[in-house]
Amino acid sequence: MSRNGTGGTNGGGRMPRLRQSWNELTDRRGVQPTIAYAVSLLLLLALWEIASLVVRAVYGSPFLPAPSVVFRAMILNAPGLGWDFLLTGWRLVLSMLIALAIGVPVGLMIGHERILDRYLSPMIYIIYPIPQVALILFLFLLFGTGNATKVALVTLVLFFQVVVTARGAAKNLPQEHLTSVRATGATRWQVYRHVVLPASLPDILTSARVAIGLGMALLYIAETQSERGGGLGLFISRKIVFARETAFAGIVAMAILGLLLYLAIDFAEHVLCRWKYTGGRSR
Amino acid sequence: MIQVSDLVVRYGQGKGAVEAVRGVSFSVEPGKTLVLVGPSGCGKTTILFALAGLLQASEGAISIAGTPVAGPRRDVALILQNAGLLPWKTVWQNANLSLLLSGEYRRKNASEVLEKLGLDQVKNRYPSELSEGMKRRVGVARALSTSPTVMLMDEPMASLDTLTKESVQDLILSLWQELRFSIVLVTHDIEEAAFLGQEILVLTERPARIKARVENPGIGSVAYRWSDRFFATTAALREALEK
Repeated sequence: MSRNGTGGTNGGGRMPRLRQSWNELTDRRGVQPTIAYAVSLLLLLALWEIASLVVRAVYGSPFLPAPSVVFRAMILNAPGLGWDFLLTGWRLVLSMLIALAIGVPVGLMIGHERILDRYLSPMIYIIYPIPQVALILFLFLLFGTGNATKVALVTLVLFFQVVVTARGAAKNLPQEHLTSVRATGATRWQVYRHVVLPASLPDILTSARVAIGLGMALLYIAETQSERGGGLGLFISRKIVFARETAFAGIVAMAILGLLLYLAIDFAEHVLCRWKYTGGRSR
Repeated sequence: MIQVSDLVVRYGQGKGAVEAVRGVSFSVEPGKTLVLVGPSGCGKTTILFALAGLLQASEGAISIAGTPVAGPRRDVALILQNAGLLPWKTVWQNANLSLLLSGEYRRKNASEVLEKLGLDQVKNRYPSELSEGMKRRVGVARALSTSPTVMLMDEPMASLDTLTKESVQDLILSLWQELRFSIVLVTHDIEEAAFLGQEILVLTERPARIKARVENPGIGSVAYRWSDRFFATTAALREALEK
């Protein structure tokens, strides 16, 4: 296909969209990311092994268990660990989905509607820097010690982060995109649907990536505050003193959960923002 | 017919208001072309946006086909600088945006426009995969999709290389000859104004006022670009701008 478009093939419709996005994701710059991930993982394991040996040599005690010991603990604790993995994963995904579902429209509207921006942005800026984790006791009183409090705490923190990102993205839209759609007589809803949301989506997905790390840290804190309800946070805190290798198995499970979520967001970006990966962009 | 009478456009209100256009009047007969030429930032685009119904006149009146302009309308198309394409929509979706949004989309009509402009082969591509010339063609295709009677153009050839610019100018000329819509073109390019404008209004620095009118009835063929009348018109425009 020539660049001036005078010849060539139909670029879009032949392959199902999901498969095309998957192929693009797994063939970036011609290097299979699975190989890159494997190399990176091996490097991490080697550094971990070295650190474990150094700690043992300096302190004369295995404070930092070696990877092989941790993986053995993972296998031995597989049923319980697997269940806690699912519990934490479910809580994190649910919190992220609620935060995105409410935070994205709120942020986009504040960023795009001048009057809302004027009156609501100061409120967001006042509340956003408050460490919401300080509200954990209040949330326990409100929702009890079950799932609701854990999900509410993570949602609360991620909500403000999503709102701030979506607002910024909607505020900095190129004027020509808005003008070109308004000139067609588009309704306000159509402007959001066809310009504001798609233009802001890459920033929103970046914010979702950041939210994974933040959400995981908060969920850990929330799960360790109660002796009931399970989750990787409780699993780790119960084992960290007397069964360190098992606690590290929980930490590795958290890392795997984070990795899976990052990959899911990468894939979502390839599906929802396919335009970013065409014409030599974002490669 | 496009009728603009004593148009005044101000941005802002009260003491902080900035006047962008002051007392501009002109008319364009159906099927005729008019070019607004003037220095950058003088208020040309403001006039065009007021014609497109995107800005309200602070004073004066604008009417198209006898109806006052109160907002964007179906018989008026706007082509923006850099074509105003949405990067997340394919050529097909960009070209048919107006029809898709209004629910008047017809696959057959849409295909004909793309085919006419040589865009059929790239209809599923994204703007980032196109050359600049192709992007401008998609902008023209979008404008044509609603079969407008008035085509408003805001420096549609800006930042194109000379040959691509001339090819897009030739395309606009041939479409105008075939479809006979009225054109109001905004540009700061003297040669472009002389090639496409039957009447050319030279505007002052902001706030825009008309400081000269140049008649240029000879347009209509690609060869006009090398005629003595073309060079005489460009010379007259240059003199009017420098005054």
